[in-house]
Amino acid sequence: MSEYKKYVCVVCGFIYDEKLGDPENDIPPGTRWADVPDDWVCPDCGAAKVDFDLMVI
Amino acid sequence: MDVLVVGSGIAGVSFAEEFRKLAPDHSVTLLTAETLGYYSRPLLSHGFTRDDIETRIILRRFDQLEQTGIRVLSGREAVALDPAGHRLDCRAEPDQTASLAYDRLVLAPGSAALIPPPFLGTPEKFKVLNSLTDLIGLRRLRDEVRCSGSQPRWAVIGGGLIGCEAASDLARAGDRVTLFHALPRLMERQLVEEDSADLLAVLQNDHVDVRLDAQVQGFAGEPANLAVVTQGGMEDGFHGILVACGFKPRIEVARNAGIATRRGIVVDTFLATDASDVYAIGDAAECADGRLYAYVTPIRSQALWLARHLAGLTQEPWQPPAFKPKAKVHGFTAVHPYLF
Repeated sequence: MSEYKKYVCVVCGFIYDEKLGDPENDIPPGTRWADVPDDWVCPDCGAAKVDFDLMVI
Repeated sequence: MDVLVVGSGIAGVSFAEEFRKLAPDHSVTLLTAETLGYYSRPLLSHGFTRDDIETRIILRRFDQLEQTGIRVLSGREAVALDPAGHRLDCRAEPDQTASLAYDRLVLAPGSAALIPPPFLGTPEKFKVLNSLTDLIGLRRLRDEVRCSGSQPRWAVIGGGLIGCEAASDLARAGDRVTLFHALPRLMERQLVEEDSADLLAVLQNDHVDVRLDAQVQGFAGEPANLAVVTQGGMEDGFHGILVACGFKPRIEVARNAGIATRRGIVVDTFLATDASDVYAIGDAAECADGRLYAYVTPIRSQALWLARHLAGLTQEPWQPPAFKPKAKVHGFTAVHPYLF
């Protein structure tokens, strides 16, 4: 199991953390980015999944 | 090649950053009336429930943009365009204008808040939520009212997307909110009837007092006791009145230069205006399908496409992407797809 990654919404700065998921929108903790549905949107600003970039720390 | 971009919202900044990446040999200048940096406009209507919003909303300071090689001219307004001479005049101080030459001009000026004519005579009685400066002003007003020991009481005028979002967020922040909407159901331009009814129930559950079919005719009263005048009479006791009746694309500079405009700046499928080397993107651009795209996903798509196009990487016309608008009303999820 590789470590969890984070993806940042380029529009509003919201961070999708694979470890935490987005339980409020039916994405359970531990959901990999690849498994997040394409029609999921940023919970803060409504941006699409394509508007997220992998966070490089 | 010198590329001049007007506007530092999602459209202008996304374009400038992408074009810098794709075509580092060309120069990019970003002209903006803003002074507080590049911030997330979609978060404005969520700016009351979060204590850290005034710093968190800033995505990039202007000096950070400059570090990527974009020249930023902030606090300056575009005032006149000469498409034949490829020059744009801008103004910082009232008497201080400068003229900028360009090879390509990208207009991404965004929109102002739309103010219905009956309200224009009393600008001191209401506020709008269209910029970070507006948000900071509204937050200061809330703080003052709360410091005086009162619960802030707001009238929100307009039950469209922004009005519903702001009413929801103010109510969740602990304020009393009355939402006036001229039509019989909320967000009628985005939602089917069933979802409008759900939205009404969600807002009422958060103690937002929703007045449908309420035609607001004007405002009266004094700063701490403002009044909303409707066809049914007058309601007073508001600390603030927030007008959220839609957006008005900033087309004046283009129109005065003789560029074709309707509601927005008219562009073809290559996002080009009818003036050579002048393009328009964002919610001020009226696209070939007659639409103004006022949502994040298509606007970013326009910006990234235009960067590729001007970098010589694509000759295919811009195609609007599939996208799903979503109102950020606490506790509300539409069952049916949004209308657009």
